[in-house]
Amino acid sequence: MKILVALDGKSYSRGIVKEVARLSEGTLADVVFLGIQDSKTKVSQSLQMLLHEYQQDLYSYFRPDELPYADFSLEKWQKIASGDWKVSAAGMKEFTLRIRSGSVAKAVVAVAGEMECDLVILGCDLKCGCEWDGEINVPLRIAEDAPCSVLVIKQSGNTQEIVSILDQSEVHQEAMEMINQLVTLHSAGLKIIGVQEKNEDKNDMLEQRMVELLKYYNDRAVSAWVKVIDSAMVTDYVTESSRKAIIALWMGGKQSLLKRLFSHSMVDKLLSTSSSSVFILR
Amino acid sequence: MLKTLLYINEDLASSIALRFTDYLSRFVNLSLFVAHVEEPDEKEQVGTGWVRRTWEDGVASSGKRLVDRMLRTENINCPLAGRPKIFVGEMEREMIFELRNGLYKLFIKGYLDSADPEPFYDLISSSLCEEMSCPVLVVKNLSLSKRCALLCADGVDPRTLVEQSMEIVGESSFELDIVYFKFQESDQVQILDSREGGSNLRETESLLAAAGKTVANTIVLTGVPEQIGDYLKEYALVASTMPGRKSMHMYVLAHSLASVLLVRDTAQKQQ
Repeated sequence: MKILVALDGKSYSRGIVKEVARLSEGTLADVVFLGIQDSKTKVSQSLQMLLHEYQQDLYSYFRPDELPYADFSLEKWQKIASGDWKVSAAGMKEFTLRIRSGSVAKAVVAVAGEMECDLVILGCDLKCGCEWDGEINVPLRIAEDAPCSVLVIKQSGNTQEIVSILDQSEVHQEAMEMINQLVTLHSAGLKIIGVQEKNEDKNDMLEQRMVELLKYYNDRAVSAWVKVIDSAMVTDYVTESSRKAIIALWMGGKQSLLKRLFSHSMVDKLLSTSSSSVFILR
Repeated sequence: MLKTLLYINEDLASSIALRFTDYLSRFVNLSLFVAHVEEPDEKEQVGTGWVRRTWEDGVASSGKRLVDRMLRTENINCPLAGRPKIFVGEMEREMIFELRNGLYKLFIKGYLDSADPEPFYDLISSSLCEEMSCPVLVVKNLSLSKRCALLCADGVDPRTLVEQSMEIVGESSFELDIVYFKFQESDQVQILDSREGGSNLRETESLLAAAGKTVANTIVLTGVPEQIGDYLKEYALVASTMPGRKSMHMYVLAHSLASVLLVRDTAQKQQ
């Protein structure tokens, strides 16, 4: 598994490192820390230092004998293309620092695609709903366009519940494991909410998906509660649940009911109104 | 041992019910039978005499394969007390008949929990639940809890609740709580002092004490049914008397994430 973490110098980025550390420990993931700058020609030393600080911070959450990443020095930064720099070290797992120039949302989506990441993680500013400093709709654009799952972390105290909402679309084991890690991380309960529609065949498929999920979590001794809701109720249900729970939306392909229901504006609304983190699973 | 009949189909609700029954058997000494009813379309039903019997045998074989598949997939540890019982016909009628003839003490059925309370009410007011000769356990979720709640409120008959539910969980190793609820619009569920409970709560406590049962906690809650139903997920199961339609009691049970054990006054059952 490979996790891409988009970071800047703000407190919302600083606050997510601990959660990233615990997720990467639980999934034994390769990790990429990505910073974005304006200049295409010269790499920002302060951004290099900042990413290095975050990397040291993440390493500090591991016991030395359990750290799966190797140490590296800042002198080894390489320019790999115009406006694109990186340094990495391979231990049992690979850790990469990367700096790219351009728009934040576009750069994160591009790097996630290039590096075939499974998950993008970023924090966001709670004061303005869910924003990044200096660019409009960064979390939303990443959540919408990234080729993989996206976790937008909000620092809002203890979450006691993960509400996982799915339709009949296929669910992947990596995504199931990410939810499992979140449940463990927050010592939270898990609700699996199936969204039903009028088509009986699709509802049978939905039940099949819920059986798969339930077995997966039960086998790992995770208590999961299942419930079905009508597609007409889903947006209200999500809005209500997002007040105190992390919402995990399983967005499938073109046929996905949730993808149809959660239009651009709905995901935007969810990101801005939710007091807890939001997880878009693909 | 508690002679128990578990109805299974090939669906999520039955998958949960099988696993929950397996879990329940760690706490309650069950003598477990499983049953399935094949309900063919009227169009499929053919002939009379030998032709019909041959057709029914074929349908029953298909039902048996379904039950075998479910038992194999769920891989439960609780031993079955007999071969799976396969019937061909109308599910409710066949189950009522089997429950009466087999003198079962408990019927278990899976129910896919829904945010809409109407399907829950439809189930508990169905002829199956209305005419049943024993308590029914509606399995909604596999709650891996060691606690069982007796749900008490105004309008609940404490004697029926205690006497009938103790027939099922009285000798179990579950930790027993009494949960008394009051309806009140609020942002979140609130726990009140146990003195805030009504006379039904005190009577329930007295009846349990007289029966020699130890109550671990008495909890008085206020909130709306959705909040109280969510709170109940802390329990493996919630025992309750049959609620009336449109009552807060019914809505709480409909929204309960925990499985619901419904008991009824024996005098009512005989009517």
